[in-house]
Amino acid sequence: MKRHYVLAALIGFTALGFAQPEALPKPETILDRYVEVTGGKAAYEKRKNALETGTLEFKAQGLKGSVTRYSAEPAEEYSVIEIDGVGKIEAGIDNGVAWEKSAILGPRIKSGAERVQTLREGTFNASLHWRELFPKVETAGTETIDGELCYKVVLTPTEGNPETMFFEKKSGLAVKTMTVAATQMGDVPFEATSSDYKTFGGVTIPTKITQKVSGQEFTITIQDVKINQPIPEGRFDPPADIKALLSKSADKK
Amino acid sequence: MLGRLKQTHFGIFPASVYNDVEAEGGGDGSPGMETRVLSGQAVVTNIEPASPAERAGVKQGWVVVSVNGKPLAPVIEKLAADPDIHELALERAVSSRLSGMVGERKKFAFLDGANAVVTKELEFGPERGQAARFGNLPPIHVFIESKKIGNTGYVRFNMFLDLVRVMNQFGEAVQDCMSCDGFIIDLRGNPGGIGGMAMGMAGWLIDKPDQRLGTMQLRDASLNFVVNPRPDVFKGPVAVLVDGSSASTSEIFAGGLKDLGRARIFGTKTAAAALPSIFERLPNGDGFQYATANYISEGGKALEGIGVTPDVEVKLTRASLLAGHDAVLDAALEWIKKKK
Repeated sequence: MKRHYVLAALIGFTALGFAQPEALPKPETILDRYVEVTGGKAAYEKRKNALETGTLEFKAQGLKGSVTRYSAEPAEEYSVIEIDGVGKIEAGIDNGVAWEKSAILGPRIKSGAERVQTLREGTFNASLHWRELFPKVETAGTETIDGELCYKVVLTPTEGNPETMFFEKKSGLAVKTMTVAATQMGDVPFEATSSDYKTFGGVTIPTKITQKVSGQEFTITIQDVKINQPIPEGRFDPPADIKALLSKSADKK
Repeated sequence: MLGRLKQTHFGIFPASVYNDVEAEGGGDGSPGMETRVLSGQAVVTNIEPASPAERAGVKQGWVVVSVNGKPLAPVIEKLAADPDIHELALERAVSSRLSGMVGERKKFAFLDGANAVVTKELEFGPERGQAARFGNLPPIHVFIESKKIGNTGYVRFNMFLDLVRVMNQFGEAVQDCMSCDGFIIDLRGNPGGIGGMAMGMAGWLIDKPDQRLGTMQLRDASLNFVVNPRPDVFKGPVAVLVDGSSASTSEIFAGGLKDLGRARIFGTKTAAAALPSIFERLPNGDGFQYATANYISEGGKALEGIGVTPDVEVKLTRASLLAGHDAVLDAALEWIKKKK
């Protein structure tokens, strides 16, 4: 009986050898298609700033909160997450300074790999600028996610850990991202699934993003995005205690 | 089944724990006194100001003999003899027998300073502090107090919870004391809470960047408990007071500051119960707590099963409590005085 199984395996192996695998598309094609299916270059270029509002939930832990994020060209950002029982977690990017301030940890300036990663992620219209952000890209195969065949693309930045993104073959949309995220507490495996794409100001974005980081899972739901609205003056200015840390750091140098 | 793991931070919390507090007019009540088991007796260590116990004339150092006629000694004797029951569980078992519903009246029998039996009927008031919610954790009353003893700052809080209020008040207490001779953080009886608060509080006391209290080891990553120095940091001597009921985040905080050489630890060995964990609600409403990681203090040792050994071991005694002294606090104050 055993010989029959071996033979069957050999037949199967031989058959595989004759199959003509579908050639994988170039990564440039997949990434450019993503820009195209989410609105196209012209639509992205019309966007100069954005205000996103939504909710955040750690379902297993019973924690809920709100998310507000201002962003603008070229890489300015201010976000605030407010979670019941945890308070405010503010973060921002201003002129290359990446910072964070929370009720639990206080204010801090991001540095090293975490800063580089934050600045990259904070690039406005990042999808459009993948060539500058990721000098090396590679199509690494296919994978089926939630019943849909996806292209797996590995994007390697100049500095930092590579990101693996999965794009649906049928729709061209990104449905999953995996990387090892650089955090102040150390490198942590990070996974995000994206779904519920909706169009705001001509660009289509995922409005449901579920992230898994170090065994913790939480979901961000974007409820509204306002494009090219006036941003309050000084919105991207770091808070006073971040400025105090910056001047303390400058004094030490 | 969870008990067979013989590890802390695994447990089921009945739905009634949530329901009792959430119910209108309900809630855990307190007579307004704290006890510790000293030499096999439940000794009153602290009386909350304006509490039923204070109004009834209960004094520090008295022994709680019985509650509604039920003696505490057999419970203490039985639990103290069980090697699987550590001090934290023993203290919780005793304090649960001293609690009741708000408005409930119970008859307490005490031994006073002369060892005479004194009976007091105490009406339970609300627990000290404010009810705090954090996700699926049962509602818990959290208090924080701060004061100056001479020119030494002192802060005490019963849990690392009610994050925004406790972090703010802790920060204010340090900021008000930048020119103090020293600063004392009293974590006795503090069973822990949100681990990250240890890092945030340490940021008020450590000026050197890139310091960490320890490392949380998860299945797929190690997370460093990094300290972010605040713009203004207290640079004087710091004492941390601990006992066998100081657990989890209290141990992360005390152990990390000790390992970094930033604080001197006074009191007795901590609970050795420091596994990071999360709470989930089960379909039947019960709460399920389970550990998700191990924690290694900056000195290289796991805190679970080992705990934090004080630099200066000082035990509370009934005699010193009756004399109006807190031997552990006194030792810390004396050290700060010498450091001046």
